[in-house]
Amino acid sequence: MRSAQSSVASMLRVGQFSPRWVLMSLILTACVPPAHADALDGVLQVRSAYVSVEGGVFLLHARIDYPVNPVIRDALHDGVTLTVDLDVRIERERRFWLNADIVDLTLRRELDYHAVSDRYLVRDVRSGNQKSFATLEEALSDLGTVEGWPVLVEPQLAQGSYRISVRAGVRRGRLPASLRALMFWTDDWHRVSEWYTWLLPV
Amino acid sequence: MVTASVTEATKAKPRWRAVALVVLWAGVGVGALLLLAKSVQNSGEFSRLQPWILLLNLVGVIALLALLARKITQLVRDYRAHVPGSRLTARTVAIFGALVVAPLLIVYLFSLQFLNRGIDSWFHLEVKQGLNDALVLSRSALDLRVREYSRHTENLAHSLLDASAEDVAHRVYEERRATGALEMAVFGSHERIIAASLENPLESLPSRPPADLLRQVGERRAYVSLEPQAGGEYLIRTAAPFTEATGRRDDRYLIAIYEVPTQLAALSEAVQHAYSQYGELAALREPLKSSFRLTLTLVLLLAMLAAIYGAIFSAQRLVRPVQDLIEGTRAVGKGDFGTRLPLPSRDEMGFLVHSFNDMTKRLRRAREEATRSQHVVERERERLAIILARLTTGVVVVDRELTVSIANQAAGAILGTDLSAATGRGLPELTAGNERLGQFVAALGVRFAAGREEWREQLDLDSATGGRILMCACTPQAGADGKVGYVIVFDDITTLLQAQRDAAWGEVARRLAHEIKNPLTPIQLSAELMRRRFLTSMSPPDAEVLERATRTIVQQVQTMQQMVNAFSEYARAPEMRITHFSLNQLAGEVADLYRPHDARVDIRLELDERIDGIEADRGRVRQILNNLVINALEALDGVATPRLEIATRFEQGGDAKYATITVCDNGPGFQRELLGRVFDPYVTSKPKGTGLGLAIVKKIVEEHGGRIDADNRPEGGARIRVVLPMTDSTRSAPGARDRRGELRREIV
Repeated sequence: MRSAQSSVASMLRVGQFSPRWVLMSLILTACVPPAHADALDGVLQVRSAYVSVEGGVFLLHARIDYPVNPVIRDALHDGVTLTVDLDVRIERERRFWLNADIVDLTLRRELDYHAVSDRYLVRDVRSGNQKSFATLEEALSDLGTVEGWPVLVEPQLAQGSYRISVRAGVRRGRLPASLRALMFWTDDWHRVSEWYTWLLPV
Repeated sequence: MVTASVTEATKAKPRWRAVALVVLWAGVGVGALLLLAKSVQNSGEFSRLQPWILLLNLVGVIALLALLARKITQLVRDYRAHVPGSRLTARTVAIFGALVVAPLLIVYLFSLQFLNRGIDSWFHLEVKQGLNDALVLSRSALDLRVREYSRHTENLAHSLLDASAEDVAHRVYEERRATGALEMAVFGSHERIIAASLENPLESLPSRPPADLLRQVGERRAYVSLEPQAGGEYLIRTAAPFTEATGRRDDRYLIAIYEVPTQLAALSEAVQHAYSQYGELAALREPLKSSFRLTLTLVLLLAMLAAIYGAIFSAQRLVRPVQDLIEGTRAVGKGDFGTRLPLPSRDEMGFLVHSFNDMTKRLRRAREEATRSQHVVERERERLAIILARLTTGVVVVDRELTVSIANQAAGAILGTDLSAATGRGLPELTAGNERLGQFVAALGVRFAAGREEWREQLDLDSATGGRILMCACTPQAGADGKVGYVIVFDDITTLLQAQRDAAWGEVARRLAHEIKNPLTPIQLSAELMRRRFLTSMSPPDAEVLERATRTIVQQVQTMQQMVNAFSEYARAPEMRITHFSLNQLAGEVADLYRPHDARVDIRLELDERIDGIEADRGRVRQILNNLVINALEALDGVATPRLEIATRFEQGGDAKYATITVCDNGPGFQRELLGRVFDPYVTSKPKGTGLGLAIVKKIVEEHGGRIDADNRPEGGARIRVVLPMTDSTRSAPGARDRRGELRREIV
């Protein structure tokens, strides 16, 4: 019950009200015994974001605040991997119709604790690049700083107004696919921030 | 053909619905599987599709619940209302449900147990401890290397403190090669590279020192870190400031990067991987169990709901033909033979329904045939009723208790009662106040009591209003209900017999007139001759005897001549001289004629002014009046206050007009035994008279096309009523006879 209440509370705090949460909350309220508190308690938000253009390439720069608390630290030390996503969506506004999706990208990185070396690793999932940090704060600071991520090239744009939305998400990652399908019932290690949106006139 | 197409149409609808449902469910199932497969392969897709998957599941569950609730509600309502087939459906559902739910529950509980134990078995304490020990071991092994390289870097930095720049570069190069370091470099202030040696010849600059290294070196402290790399290698990054023991400050520092031996790195990485995997699984232990439990519960619920719904659906599908049969049987019981049941399938149930439809078809045909026969019978009955109503012969059908089942109009007229409402009633109940019917019933009773069932006899019925002679025949008849009935057919032959008697008497009168009248004249002449010849020549005594004898002969011969004349008159063929005269005036004249004759008698006239004139033979009508008045006056002899009433009355029946002459007296009336024959010749209760007066009256009346009746008044005295047509056309008109018939009934 406590778990369900806290999940609903967190849902309200971040302004999420998706069917998944509704159903999950209902089912948790009805069926699930209290298991654990919300591990991702804390601020998760896109503090600032903008794009710059270099050589016809639009580069995204963003600052994100990720929650830091002992639960996360302990979980990382126990071997849990956190997947940190940065979703960017660029839509062309249309007056009499739904907006057209131009770009829908996700920058996915993983954060885990390397017990042998006592360091925190930040890994870019797509490129495989990996950085290590002595402290969790340094690692989160690195994760929270996105510099020059290419998201768009000029030929993709036409005359009009474009809406750019950026959202950060954290969840417990690296689950086997078969388990991931099951875990959505009880996985409260999953949070997304609100969309950080601005208009880009072209 | 029409019925067949209707049946096909009613059959096609559920089949179409079933196919649509199956396709829908299959589509939803395949869609859900595709979504699941897609989401499992790509976690990003999963995140996006997850709400839709859940929504789909939710919709499915709600739809299933709604369908089930509807089915169960309907089943309960039907069960309570004792709808045919509901008990069978409920029982079938209970059996199916039990058969499905019990194994499901067992599998569910077993799976839960297995999952709990299976997942718990992943996390043995020994494994955790082993992993921790391996981790410590790896750390220790690496720590040795780290400390060794760190000490070596510090020593090298110390030894380079006083070396020239060239020496530093040379020493760095030599040391890097000697120690096998990947990279060795000396930095000055502001990260200025003083000397560097790299193992990779393609790289010209050393890697940039990390921030924590710079911070630590800035604090003049040695730095060391073990940095895992993406490929599973480990780098040991060491740094040492150029610091002399005397405390002399130098901004330079040495950074050396070493590679951990491959084998050690691989082993350490394996330990790390195992530790990480175990930790992740351990963290997922409870959520995983909860997820499995929830998933299993949901699957169980869905399976149970689907199973129960399927059970209800199958049971209803199975029972529906039976329900149809029950409804059909009820409809047939209520007389609706047009019921056609849809054929459910080609199995035994289909054969049964087909047989039922065949049966109802045959029943419908049979009923139509019966209805047609009934209509024919009813038409025959109506025709028979019309014939019976038109018959002048009385027909009565009674049972042994004389309860009437059929009685026609003529029977009522003959028996002097209204038998139109007598059906279902006993004849004895109707005899009150009707002497004639009473005698009829008594005559029947006597014959039935004697066990006579088939007879043909003449019944003489006497009553105060006149006698009737009936020719009656009785025939037994088997009734529809098995009881014996009797058809009694009778005819009023009074008039017929009277006519026969009249004819006989006419013949007698003619013969008497002929045979007797001829000798009378010679007898009278002979007597008178004897008197004339021998009266003067005989002695006085003899002459007196002769005188007396011849006078007696002559008187008696004259009397006989009068009688013969009367007979002659009676037998004479009518020679009517029809004139128009006033009946009332004639009645007055006759009354005036007899008033002085006997002043004692109070002769009263009651004349209807509406009778202004009548077409008849005036002399014969006068004779009627004379005879009736004489008859009445003779009857009034010896009566204390004799009274005679002559009345005329106008009557009209349709176009025909009638004049009724009624002559009443307050004398002794007719003798009861003579009442039916008062108009016969020689029927008289008086000492004098020929007994032909009333017979002649009746003959004249009949010659005029009229009717005559005689009866006794309730207050005493005789009453004779004569009905005469007022016009000659009425007399000869075809309707006159019928009208006379009606009048006869009225008089009766």
